[in-house]
Amino acid sequence: MSPDALLFVLLAYLSAALLACFSRRLGYALGAAASAAAASLSLYVLLGGGGTELPLQVGVELSLNRFDAYFLLVSSLVWLGTCVYSMDYDDDYPAALSPLFLLTILSMTVILVAGDAVSFLMAWETMTIASFFMILQGRGRREDVRRAAFLFLAFGEASTVLIMVSFAAMYASLGSFQFLGAGVGRVVGAYAPIAFLAALLGFGLKMGLVPFHVSEWLPIAHSNAPSNASAVLSSTLTLMGVYGFMNVMSRLAPYQLWWGWLALSIGGVSALLGASFASTSEHFKGLPAYSTIENNGLILVALGVYLLAARYQLSLMADVALVAAMYHAFSHAVSKASLFSVMGWLSKVRRSFDLNAAARGTAPGPMRATAMAAVLSLAAAPPFAGFVSEWMVLEVLFQSFKFPDVASQLIGTVVGALVALATGIVTVAMTKAYGFGVLLSGKGEGSPALRGSGWYFLSLVTGLGVAAPLVFFLAADAASGVLGGQVFGTFVTGLLGVPAYFVILSGRPFGGFSPTFTAIFMLGMLAVPLAVARVGGAWRPRRVAGWFAGAARPSDEGEMYNSFGYSSPFRIMLRLLFRTRESVLRAGAARATGEYFVDVRIVDVFRRFYDISAKWALALSRETGRYVMPGRMGRYLAYIMLAMMFVLAYILLVAG
Amino acid sequence: MWVLRGLRKGILTTGYPGKGLAPDEVPRSSFPPTPSADADWAKGGGLCPTGAIQGERVDAGRCVYCRRCKDAGFRFEGPAPGPMASERAALARRVLGRSLHVLVLDVGSCNGCNMEVLNLANPYYDFNRLGIFFTNTPKHADVLLAVGALNKAMVETLKRTYESMPEPKFVVAAGACAMSGGVFKDTDGFASPLGDAVPVDVEIPGCPPTPLQLLDGLLLIGGRRRAP
Amino acid sequence: MIRRFVERGPARAEGPVQPSASFSAGGRHLSILTDTDRGRTILCEAQPEERPWQRAPPGSPLELEHGGQVGGYGTFSFQYGPVAYGVQEAGAFKLATYGERVVKAVPIVNYKKRGIEGRVAGMKPEDALLLLERSAGHFSASYSTCFCTAVEDALGLDVPSRVLWDRAVAVELERIYNHVHVFAREAEAASQNVAASQANALGERVLRLNAKYFGHRYLFGFGGVGTSSADLGTQGRRRELLAGARAVAGEFAGLMDGLLSSRIFLDRLQGTARLSKEDATRLGAVGPAARGSGVEADDRHVYPAEPYHDIFVSLETEREGDSLARLTVRAREVQSSAMVLQELLDRMPPSGGVGSRGDGGEDFAICRTEGPSGDLIMALGLDGQGRLAFLHVRPSSAANWIPFAISLEGSVFTDFQFAYESFGLSFADSDG
Ligand code: SF4
Ligand code: SF4
Repeated sequence: MSPDALLFVLLAYLSAALLACFSRRLGYALGAAASAAAASLSLYVLLGGGGTELPLQVGVELSLNRFDAYFLLVSSLVWLGTCVYSMDYDDDYPAALSPLFLLTILSMTVILVAGDAVSFLMAWETMTIASFFMILQGRGRREDVRRAAFLFLAFGEASTVLIMVSFAAMYASLGSFQFLGAGVGRVVGAYAPIAFLAALLGFGLKMGLVPFHVSEWLPIAHSNAPSNASAVLSSTLTLMGVYGFMNVMSRLAPYQLWWGWLALSIGGVSALLGASFASTSEHFKGLPAYSTIENNGLILVALGVYLLAARYQLSLMADVALVAAMYHAFSHAVSKASLFSVMGWLSKVRRSFDLNAAARGTAPGPMRATAMAAVLSLAAAPPFAGFVSEWMVLEVLFQSFKFPDVASQLIGTVVGALVALATGIVTVAMTKAYGFGVLLSGKGEGSPALRGSGWYFLSLVTGLGVAAPLVFFLAADAASGVLGGQVFGTFVTGLLGVPAYFVILSGRPFGGFSPTFTAIFMLGMLAVPLAVARVGGAWRPRRVAGWFAGAARPSDEGEMYNSFGYSSPFRIMLRLLFRTRESVLRAGAARATGEYFVDVRIVDVFRRFYDISAKWALALSRETGRYVMPGRMGRYLAYIMLAMMFVLAYILLVAG
Repeated sequence: MWVLRGLRKGILTTGYPGKGLAPDEVPRSSFPPTPSADADWAKGGGLCPTGAIQGERVDAGRCVYCRRCKDAGFRFEGPAPGPMASERAALARRVLGRSLHVLVLDVGSCNGCNMEVLNLANPYYDFNRLGIFFTNTPKHADVLLAVGALNKAMVETLKRTYESMPEPKFVVAAGACAMSGGVFKDTDGFASPLGDAVPVDVEIPGCPPTPLQLLDGLLLIGGRRRAP
Repeated sequence: MIRRFVERGPARAEGPVQPSASFSAGGRHLSILTDTDRGRTILCEAQPEERPWQRAPPGSPLELEHGGQVGGYGTFSFQYGPVAYGVQEAGAFKLATYGERVVKAVPIVNYKKRGIEGRVAGMKPEDALLLLERSAGHFSASYSTCFCTAVEDALGLDVPSRVLWDRAVAVELERIYNHVHVFAREAEAASQNVAASQANALGERVLRLNAKYFGHRYLFGFGGVGTSSADLGTQGRRRELLAGARAVAGEFAGLMDGLLSSRIFLDRLQGTARLSKEDATRLGAVGPAARGSGVEADDRHVYPAEPYHDIFVSLETEREGDSLARLTVRAREVQSSAMVLQELLDRMPPSGGVGSRGDGGEDFAICRTEGPSGDLIMALGLDGQGRLAFLHVRPSSAANWIPFAISLEGSVFTDFQFAYESFGLSFADSDG
């Protein structure tokens, strides 16, 4: 395929960003169109249309191979929906939001198509800085927003530096920066562990993993960043981390055992902590943001299994794990963007981020349906995509006994338990998000763009589960180009009358499962009785009042179960984890008289980490500020940018 | 360990209603007043605190089995008064099959009836073997088993509960209190006999009705027993 | 069963006395004060000390002692009942919480306020008795004993010893089946199903003994003013009854050993709904609830009238004040009641003859009876024709509501049933 198509997509995004300076609606519309084009392009490449390369004169090259195309497909599908959603969401934010939003998307696209390390890093840096400015547009106390944005930047730079270290190690071994495109051999020797570790940390920062996730979750969750920005950051920015990490992984050989152990442990702990804090979050966007940590933890767990299985040459297991990671990345990106769009909209119309606040605003029907599908998917309920991928992750973990050494078995089993626990806990978070966020908010009318984005995301989330075999096919195919020898046919099959390719096998002999047919079956279970009831005349719905233990319906909100109460059992049960402190103050001397004031707090380990690192980062900036530039953050930023560009240009010249 | 302990006790459960009753299973608290040949109805009517003796008839729904009327020539001997059922109750079998889910609703009882209802679950009566179960929400209930003298403060709750039950639904009024107000019929809190507030399908006399009488009454629903 | 303890106290009581009830009679406000240390009940004329169960209109919260709002992020309150499995009665609780933990519990009473006190005014005592023994069906022997004794006292009637002993037998049987029932409910709540049904079966056996020897499973109608219709005439029947009761107590002891050595069961009870001795005393808790917190309150000890004056009743107390302590007290009381039954039935006086003599009829009396859940007080006055001028009842549940509510603070929801049952509370009892 001619490189024109790729160039066209990039130019379309660029013009969208420029157009957005004048009309944000038009900008978003063009962004949506560009995303549609990007999605078609990547699908074309994935379905065998051949890669496309776009050599630029300055020594960098942009190329779209199948692996890139898979991630571009995921991202552009998300962007398409988010752009449409933004047309009506972003009507009262500063004008700078929409160009920055589109610029972020553009830079992410470049990351995916970068053929060499240098252009990758430049795009990476642009993405970080564009998102930084996007976060600065957030609402809330000026100081908080700034602090959050600054922290995002500080960690973004840390991430960049670590990635540079990783790339440098690879360069030292391979002697070339062209290692992101077609295969150019593998990094060996002492450089490999350095490259791995630096990449795990650097990309892990972007994926929001424990213990380095603050750069992601904080601004998304706590600075009241615009929700369309949150959606894009939480779903696709973390996806860039997955993409980058897998890319580096593909260049390393042979895998060492501790890589797998490390990935599994970090992933497992992230999943559990993310799920736990999601379930106790009372914040409209904090809750989905914590859930992002959980999901990226799961992805890392799957990659950890892949690392071990590949090392032990358990090829079927490695295939399943790898595809599970890629499929989960897809399902999470889509579900999370859907959820964020709805939660963002509701928090905007309700003028509160507090799940316990009195519900005032409404969301249009399609968005509510989307939220339902998204929480089901994120809570891993069949037949949605999240269920399929979590099933696969758990299945491969349950097969840890196949690992030949005890340490791997043990770690695999323990992480399996963590993941299973996380999956259970996150169900609470999701039912809470839906119940107290969406359900209580009620149904309302909405603009065509909002309704459209609702329908779009709804069909995406549901379609992804039903069409799982197709996605496997694409993912396996995409991965085979980069990570080597996987054959789609090894783990999908036909079984018990289900046609070929529709059953996933997680091992031989082990579990099997058909997402498509489960979906059809479940639909049948629902539809057939309904149809019978309707046709048979037994369909006589009767509305009765709610049941309040025989009492009258409570008249005020203070008499209803609230979101906080819903997750309090966790705060109390997992008091060791949350370090819960409950105190009840009674005014008045006698114990049994007077007013009661309740204060329940948990120690948020993430928040703790944030506070410590913020102190550290601010101290650092004060120090640097004293020498380099007195006081102003804007100039400091410009300084960082320049320094980065300078380093990159230097590398370019030397290496070029 | 508990299984062993359980087995060691052997079988206590009554064979009723399949078999007849062993003598010590005969319920004792509610022998009905039976007029002997020389019974003095007028004197009985004067003695009876609840007005159960009217003319030449004993109204089982009002009798609280206080045995006052024995001085007027009434004897107290079995069998216990049987439950009374509406036509509709017998038809329930088609819709409910052999399983009944019962919501127990206290509308103002002295707890005597509640205790006997709970006793349905003890191994002597073991109502689960007959496919009868308690439920905690009206939304799952086939039968509303109401006990006690309907209190003014509970009328709304009773109606709300009845409304919340899915069709088809049946109401059982158990005990003299539910049927007529019993000894409480002239108190300030008493609202009305249960039947005046919701349609009642089965009435079980007694103060309190024994578990076997309750069982009998519940089995009337669905026609698993005939009214005597 | 307890007579001659009323002291006309001074209007201002001296020493550590506990107000137990207050009421109006004949246009005067009267208070009953309890001086547990010296075993005195003091009646004095005083300002009405408001007792919430007296005033609360139907379906309203009982908030007097610990009113006040609950605030703080995430708190809310909801009503549990009046149709709730954990309560099993027409009663409710308003629970303030931030989820899972009870910040404050308020009983909502009088869903079944019948107005018995008002109804019986002007009635002949034997008619009033019908209502009183149906006030709380599972405490009916205590009610009828308390009421009949008070009436006899007020009339100055001479009552045969035999009648008093019969009543004591009934009260002890009632104690046994109620305690056993509490265990059954607790075991059921802890899903110890085998134990629950065994306890239920034991309860049923006592009910059948009741029916056989007193003519009614719940002991309705055996008592009357100056009379008893219990069928304990022959030595043989008394032996049978005793054998039956002892068998139940023996099997119950075995069951108890099993239950109280089951970790699952103990975990639910230990530390649940703790009531400190100070709170128990200050708030006037009675019965096993008080004894579980180490308060030595048992009417059979404090006011030992015939037949308790020459029968050994062991006073069972525990220190911890949690549900387990209350349950342990109950378990031991089943045994001690069986022992009391043995003495009562072995040494039962012949019928006829006169036991305690009445005071000579002042048309007014107060009586206290230790029912299964504690101290029941009745104060009544008679008019010239021997009809009731007024009746005031202070049931044990009314005394225990606030202690229960206080003990529940800080518990989690799943503790509710374990706490509730261990107090042996009943809305029928307090709603009169
Ligand atoms: S209520 Fe008493 S007096 Fe009246 S009929 Fe029944 S047993 Fe006889
Ligand atoms: S019928 Fe008798 S036992 Fe039942 S509630 Fe009424 S008084 Fe109590």
